Amino acid sequence: MVRFCSILILTSAFQSQLAAAETVDFGRDIKPFLKERCYACHGAVKQKAGLRLDTVAALKRGGDGGPAVDAEPAGSLIIERVTAADATLRMPPEGLPLTAPQIELLTEWIRQGAPLPATDEPDQDPQEHWAFRRIERSALPAASRRQNENPIDAFLGADHQRRRLAVVAPADRSVLLRRVTLGLTGLPPTRGELHAFLADDSENAYDKVVERLLAGPSYGERWGRHWMDIWRYSDWYGRRAVPDVMNSYAQIWRWRDWIVQSLNKDKGYDRMVVEMLAADEIAPDDAEAIVATGFVVRNWYKWNYDVWMKDLVEHTGKAFLGLTFNCAQCHDHKYDPISQEDYFRFRAFFEPLELRHDRVPGEPDPGAFKKYVYAESYGPIASGMVRIFDEKLDAQTFMFAGGDARNKMPGKPPVAPGAPAALGGERLKVEPVTLSSTSWYPGLRPFIQQEEISRAEVAVNAAESVFAKAKQLLATAEQQLAEVERRKQATPAQGVAGAAGPPSAEELSKAQAALEDARLTFRVDETQVLAARTQALAINSRIAADRARYSDPATQEGANQICIVAGKAERLAAMLTASVQLARAERAAVAARRAAPASDKAKADLAAAEQQLVAAQTAFQTAGAAFASASDQYAPLSPQYPKQSTGRRSALARWIVSRENPLAARVAVNHLWLRHFGAPLVETTFNFGRNGKPPTHPELLDWLAAEFIDSGWSMKHLHRLIVTSQAYRRKSGPVAASDPNLVIDPDNRSLWRFNVQRMEGEEIRDGVLAASEQLDRAMGGADIDSKLGLSSRRRSLYYTHHGEEKMEFLNLFDGANPADCYRRAETVVPQQALAMVNSEFSLRQSRLLARRLWDRVQQDSALSANQDEAFVIAAFEQILTRSPSAEMKTAAVKFLKKQAAEFRALDPKQLASSPAAGEIGPSGDPDQRARENLIHALFNHNEFVTIR
Amino acid sequence: MTRTQQSGRLTATRRTFLADVGMGCAGLALGSMLRDDGLVRADAPAGGAVPNGNPHFVPKAKSVIWIFLSGGYSQLETFDPKPALNRLAGKTYAETDVENPQKSPLFLQRSRSVVGIDREVYSKIFPLQVGYQKHGEAGVEVSDWLPNLATCVDDIALVRSMYTTDNDHAAEFQMHHGRHALDEQQPVIGSWIHYGLGSLNDNLPQFVFLGQFKDSRVKQNFAPDYLGPQHAGIQLSLDPANPLPFAARGANVLAGEQRAELEFIQELNGLAAVEYPDDEKLRARIKSYELAYRMQMSVPAALDLASETQETQQLYGLDNPATEIYGRRLLAARRLAERGVRFTLAYLSDYGEWDSHQDLKNLHAKSCGRIDKPVAGLLKDLKRRGLWDDTLVVFCTEFGRTPAVQDGKLAPAATGRDHHPHGFTVWLAGAGIKRGVVHGATDELGFHAVEHPHYVTDIHATVLHLLGLDPRRLDIPGRKRLEIDYGKPIEQILA
Repeated sequence: MVRFCSILILTSAFQSQLAAAETVDFGRDIKPFLKERCYACHGAVKQKAGLRLDTVAALKRGGDGGPAVDAEPAGSLIIERVTAADATLRMPPEGLPLTAPQIELLTEWIRQGAPLPATDEPDQDPQEHWAFRRIERSALPAASRRQNENPIDAFLGADHQRRRLAVVAPADRSVLLRRVTLGLTGLPPTRGELHAFLADDSENAYDKVVERLLAGPSYGERWGRHWMDIWRYSDWYGRRAVPDVMNSYAQIWRWRDWIVQSLNKDKGYDRMVVEMLAADEIAPDDAEAIVATGFVVRNWYKWNYDVWMKDLVEHTGKAFLGLTFNCAQCHDHKYDPISQEDYFRFRAFFEPLELRHDRVPGEPDPGAFKKYVYAESYGPIASGMVRIFDEKLDAQTFMFAGGDARNKMPGKPPVAPGAPAALGGERLKVEPVTLSSTSWYPGLRPFIQQEEISRAEVAVNAAESVFAKAKQLLATAEQQLAEVERRKQATPAQGVAGAAGPPSAEELSKAQAALEDARLTFRVDETQVLAARTQALAINSRIAADRARYSDPATQEGANQICIVAGKAERLAAMLTASVQLARAERAAVAARRAAPASDKAKADLAAAEQQLVAAQTAFQTAGAAFASASDQYAPLSPQYPKQSTGRRSALARWIVSRENPLAARVAVNHLWLRHFGAPLVETTFNFGRNGKPPTHPELLDWLAAEFIDSGWSMKHLHRLIVTSQAYRRKSGPVAASDPNLVIDPDNRSLWRFNVQRMEGEEIRDGVLAASEQLDRAMGGADIDSKLGLSSRRRSLYYTHHGEEKMEFLNLFDGANPADCYRRAETVVPQQALAMVNSEFSLRQSRLLARRLWDRVQQDSALSANQDEAFVIAAFEQILTRSPSAEMKTAAVKFLKKQAAEFRALDPKQLASSPAAGEIGPSGDPDQRARENLIHALFNHNEFVTIR
Repeated sequence: MTRTQQSGRLTATRRTFLADVGMGCAGLALGSMLRDDGLVRADAPAGGAVPNGNPHFVPKAKSVIWIFLSGGYSQLETFDPKPALNRLAGKTYAETDVENPQKSPLFLQRSRSVVGIDREVYSKIFPLQVGYQKHGEAGVEVSDWLPNLATCVDDIALVRSMYTTDNDHAAEFQMHHGRHALDEQQPVIGSWIHYGLGSLNDNLPQFVFLGQFKDSRVKQNFAPDYLGPQHAGIQLSLDPANPLPFAARGANVLAGEQRAELEFIQELNGLAAVEYPDDEKLRARIKSYELAYRMQMSVPAALDLASETQETQQLYGLDNPATEIYGRRLLAARRLAERGVRFTLAYLSDYGEWDSHQDLKNLHAKSCGRIDKPVAGLLKDLKRRGLWDDTLVVFCTEFGRTPAVQDGKLAPAATGRDHHPHGFTVWLAGAGIKRGVVHGATDELGFHAVEHPHYVTDIHATVLHLLGLDPRRLDIPGRKRLEIDYGKPIEQILA
């Protein structure tokens, strides 16, 4: 009854609004809100209770509870459920109830007899979703295809024709050069490059530029940074102040360098994906490839394994597949055919994971990876590399109710690794991988063996030279005591005037003590030589035993004997080392006994020394007992890991980049396109699912994806294709306000012009340094403290960047969020202006560049007529890659003169500066100071940060 | 041009400069113009509709001062007296006649550990470490460690029934963004407000963080997450030489020199605007330079605490080394609110300062002493300046502390309390808030929030409601928010 009342109230409340009611149309008025609120459970993906609500026919057919609509609203199940007063019965079960107008529309529609709409088509089968269909190379549009036309232009041209859009003219050459140089390298062209390009009237002048840029090392740095956004590059963080590594991991910069180098080598994207997810399985002996697993390491979280797994599932899904797997952690996906079980099957690919440290040639051993212990912290490793491996080969993945690890679903068996069936998951086969011995036991690697041998040899040499000194010391001490005793024997009568008399008792005991010390030291150092030599022998024996045991089949029979020898040698070395300790303890005790009567502190020291002596004796005895055994055990040269890997991740990676996978190539191509044109083909770059946006140019996207795959997933091929298209080479503007294009396609979705873009933060900082000719082009290496960002000169991607610390300057210009950055924002805020105007960085670079350009102008006698104007032109070309318009030139020359006059009018003391150490102060010369101002103004000019 | 005129240009007033840039807009109209043009803001993340800067309904408050005390102050020694603790001191929960709170279903329902161990093990009841008196007409009890704040109880609304779900210090960030550390992160409350509401003063940043920290995780309290960096809290320093990053003129740069150069930059941009008349980003950049200049002038002025009377400075405790640091932060917060800054997060402690696992009596007494006078001073100052009806003050922490004593290996002295997400107290005061009320309650031991329990996002919802914002209408397409993220306004404390 309550239900009926509520309908009546609603009905009367909205009667007026629907009074003049035209017919309610199911497709127009009702389907949109049902789709938003109901179809996740009652649509094409799922039909809970056998009910779907996407057609009128289906509503009338109903589900397990009978038809959803009846002849009258009052008897209709759907009205009953959406208006139920009891929240546990009311639909939809999550979120707010349907709004009153929505319920009223539904009620009125039923009252009108639930008429059919013009078309009563069911929602698309999820498998038919455009992004889930196999990638087929689209046929080129026949009508517009001209000879040798770039296919990109063919597809866009057909679109322009259809929409009656007239494309704009090609961009000016200087604009184009700046655009493509920034686009491919992240750096502006030099003045020399500008002049060369403007002077080159050959037909392929532009193509030559493109080839030069793609072949240069800066390409990898520029596009590396783009992919670092998508792959969530982050240096380690957590509690850096402690320091305590909690997220990501130290030495992960090697992965960044791998990205840069792979791009420069034009390694196939497919290969890159496979290496990032599973290089440890597919290239277990290739240390350079294994750092690629930094992608997986980056998601590591010390405190909670589930977080690592969760982030891996989410971001593997978003980065490579454009799928929001994360939505299915707590419940079946509402839009895509990914069940909660699919989520956990996907997690199972990663379940066996653990981190490990590997040694790197020429660097100290980073030691074994430390597993997390509650309340213990540990700092970053300073050498070696971090990587992943499968540790728990039989790891099981259980499903959690609501995605919460505390709520393991009772009675639900563990799930096997797998990909969603609707995406062709059945093609994925997991086969265990047998690893090479050097992979599961890095101690077998020749460089480690060699370095260990060298280290032992160095120790022997060091011990020998220490021992040589001890010998000398002993000889001297013996000589000195002999001399003292000789003097003691001599009778006073034999004395010669001026010669030393008989020694005092103190002198004698001192010499005796010195000799005693020298003898003890001799023993220590002599034993040390013996220990070091034995240690070298032990290393060699252990290596020989390792060879016999693991690598050299011919010696298998004698292996046991060799291992026994290695064990013996190692234990002998240990015993000798204990013996060295014992000798040291004895020496300390002797010294302490001698000093003991002197003071209370000395007595306490003696007690401690005696205690240590006893401990050293015990240790020596233990080592001696161990030596006596005939065990074939000896310490390995490194930790050992499982001899197999599950093969889960390599199966996943190969499935992702297989020809049959509908998503990987489309997603990657879309990312490339976005970063050239400033707008993607698919707006939702990390969601190609049914709730994402459809592509603006589906045929073009598919053609590019197919071309990408067929080129061997060559990114350089795709770049070349894109930047040589007419679409890329068009003007960005201006366009007359009356241009019909602005009405037909105001957002330029059809690319009838190029999009004006703002440089990314890295481009701005690096661009200033490049223009001032100060950029340090050294590549790679450990991350540099971000606090040095504005005072040092490396490219921006090499500075520390993580969840808690980024270079402030980059951050102001919408720098990458290391937690999630599938697309950069592009804002204009006043803080950016403050940074460009006031930072010592921009001031310093302006002053340096002003000097340099002025020197050049002065050196060039051809420019002597009008040096101000020559300086202005040089500055515009250097900073903005363009020559100034006549008005700009006039304004700039006027500024130079006026500003210099102002400075001259001041007391020279006001111009004097006292720059801090390492800073470069402004010039005291009025004219030069004006030139510095001009350069600084050009860096602040909108055209510097703008890509036209 | 004569020499006088020339040097006149170098010493031109700010007013002349702004007029000279000649962008055809003067004074305060500029800010709203920018907003109307939609130029200063980026495209909405993932293509959603950008809020137009207007509230969704008539607001009761214009600005928020959000006072946060890090480490978790004890509800039991501040605002939520539980005499039962004295009566039952030394017994374990199981040994008492009251229901064992660790056996309550709420115990596991609400709290969730980031690390895979059970840290909520303490159960031996620890007596109250401080006395309480009733204060004001309302007769609300406040601990003896807060004598100044106690004089303000008739103006504030205590919420004694807060709970959160993380039993470790990530609860601090949870207090600001609303999610447990193991769940997907969200933008913080200050960023939502920055995103949703227009500016009241374009010369100042609209979401400010005042505080100092060594642990960079504190930044999570003003991180915008997917709303984008332009909605991050701006950290202002009370150092007059450099209050805002890059807002101080470069060393050795003359004021007139900079002004002349800025004029030239705008002239060049104006020429570019002739070349590209349809480039909206260019127009936005021209305006951003003008705004930047205004900000450079306004921020130091807004933070010039020396311009306050001595009496006011004393009101905030600036004359006492114990209270000076936090007094300065709150005085600055008031000046910012007065000038239209929407949200000031006043971080009124060191990171983890209130985390008294041991020696709670001394540590809490000392920390109370550092904030008591400044906070009371702020409330009194807001009232007498007529800012009370525009300014909302929130006073909060990340969780409470256990009714039981923490003992064992990590705290052998057994003189403190452990983290306690199950029940704690916060308060609100000012615009739109009832005066002198106590809302909600914990159980007899001060353990579970049982009467009107509120998760932390209910505070967010209350704040947004008073600012006239409906959080659902701020949603970003493609960014799933849960019911719990929106919270519910606490109706019972709304005036």
